Amino acid sequence: MAANSTVAQPFDFLREDLQTKQRGLWEQAFRRLVRNRLAIVSLCVLLLITVTALLADFIPAVAHHPADAQDYGSLEKSPSADFWLGTDGLGRDLWARLLEGTLFSLKIGILAQVVILSIGITVGMLAALGGRWSDTLLMWFTDLAYAFPDLLAIILFRQILLGREWPVIGDGNPQIPGFPGVLLVTILAISFVSWVTVSRLVRGQMLSIKETDYVTAARAIGASPLRVVAVHMLPNTLGAIIVAVTFGIPLAIFAEAALGFIGLGVPPPAASLGTLISDGLDHIQTNPIEILWPSITVATLMLCFTFLGDGLRDALDPRTRK
Amino acid sequence: MLVYTIRRVLAMIPLLVAVATVTFFLMHTVEGGPFDADKPLSEATRKNLEAKYGLDDSLPVQYVNYIKNLARLDLGISFANDREVRDIIGERMQVSLQLGLAAFAFATVFGLALGMFSSLNQNGMFDYLGVFLATAGAALPSFVLAPLLTIAFAVKFGWFNVLSSDYDLWQWFRLDFSNWRQMVLPTVALGFLPMAYVARITRASMLEVLRQDYIRTARAKGLRERRVVFRHAMKNAMIPVLTVLGPIFAGLITGSFIIETAFVIPGLGREFVRAVLIRDYGLLMGVMVFYAGVIAMMNLVVDLAYAVADPRIRY
Repeated sequence: MAANSTVAQPFDFLREDLQTKQRGLWEQAFRRLVRNRLAIVSLCVLLLITVTALLADFIPAVAHHPADAQDYGSLEKSPSADFWLGTDGLGRDLWARLLEGTLFSLKIGILAQVVILSIGITVGMLAALGGRWSDTLLMWFTDLAYAFPDLLAIILFRQILLGREWPVIGDGNPQIPGFPGVLLVTILAISFVSWVTVSRLVRGQMLSIKETDYVTAARAIGASPLRVVAVHMLPNTLGAIIVAVTFGIPLAIFAEAALGFIGLGVPPPAASLGTLISDGLDHIQTNPIEILWPSITVATLMLCFTFLGDGLRDALDPRTRK
Repeated sequence: MLVYTIRRVLAMIPLLVAVATVTFFLMHTVEGGPFDADKPLSEATRKNLEAKYGLDDSLPVQYVNYIKNLARLDLGISFANDREVRDIIGERMQVSLQLGLAAFAFATVFGLALGMFSSLNQNGMFDYLGVFLATAGAALPSFVLAPLLTIAFAVKFGWFNVLSSDYDLWQWFRLDFSNWRQMVLPTVALGFLPMAYVARITRASMLEVLRQDYIRTARAKGLRERRVVFRHAMKNAMIPVLTVLGPIFAGLITGSFIIETAFVIPGLGREFVRAVLIRDYGLLMGVMVFYAGVIAMMNLVVDLAYAVADPRIRY
């Protein structure tokens, strides 16, 4: 294979170009992502955190102690062989609490994206494809939503949804094991405020894709409108949506943690990263290490999701590619 | 430009009315009211209180009255402490504004400096430090930073105070900075995230501008580096930074409730959270409309500043 040595061959660039074109769009994007070391490391860290938190939920041994078991013999202990991260003011194991809180925050972050996506994509599509009136209405609605201060609107929504009887989820107290109503309420509050960003994005993408030649071609050969949207248009907005979701997860985690921090989090004995930080703040004089664990976890989660989002954007959006 | 400004200010009115309407009807779907306490009031007292604040009127009547008052810039009454919402906002806003302005100054000055240093020293030591700080800042929300700063600088070293309550916006205009010890930690905690953001944008924008032909021309004709950077490059590089300063300021004012809770600062954000908890919807609606007004104003200011800074933009 002397031809493949370091000496550049004529038309090498062309050959490379031809080879790249044979790969599909997603495969190309995947290769670009894998080459981004920071994004891949972030992805691995995120997977590790998620798997550990999930395992602890199913296998008690991973958490070492039950998250709500109070041991009055060992209050505010430093990390030891028995309590890996120490204990809090009620003698609960901080490692178990941290895992529970992390899982809760991840649930918020990911499930909120599901709600945001289902509202955002539907409305964005309706605006782009439903004619002038629906578009005007949506744009007016987005302006209105952007006029509210985000976090304060989330607090307001949360208080409105909470504290009353709802079908299935009850009044915010844990009714379904592992899925307290307050989780759903927080997710809905975050989603109601955040879906406009996605719907704007989808609308913009749809409007520009609608004008492309391949959509015209698909129409010309007689594809039904439903097929054009489902097969040709939606898949092409997917890249932008994936990036938006990756940046949306840390935002939702941040919002929930902020709420938990000011005392509007999950009711005890459940824990979220925000309530853990707030608990830690109460004992900052006596046991300063307690606040460190959830703080590090929040910072790691936000950092990793941001790096992953940056990597995905570079991989999926050819326009910003260097 | 004047016509544009007037048109934009007028366009704010329906937006604020819409915000007030949404908040009004949302708040009235909440069960329970401001007079629900652990110890229930007698029926007669409750009736009297409701009559006093017009809460016994039908919903449409209450709504029309509220909007009418709003037109006179009367934001209504806080039921919980029987005071004009306007007065409460005026009083608490001083505290929030002092903190917000300090954090804004911190974010802008340090963000710009960091971004400039990074871009002029691309891929050098300073650049890596700058990028590291900017990245770390994006991952450290104020409620994570606040306790960490407190442990380090107030508890361990004792350099700064926390938990004192000497807040007066006007003292700074009298050049009296005697409360700086208590202001440093909240300011840094609140301003760190926007600082990182400003630094990132400044760096990216400077790198873009420094690559342009007219910069090469300026250097080629023998201008001193300082003049090239500050005169030629910075002027154009500031335009993208300018556009984010407005939202950043609005975010500092409306997002200060986290820091105000952490450091027990009696600002408007903390008052809002308290109002939510005790269902004081008079205060709540007033603050919401006020905040919406702040956000809309900041967006307008940015658009106008944009037109001033970039002559290519005409309204």
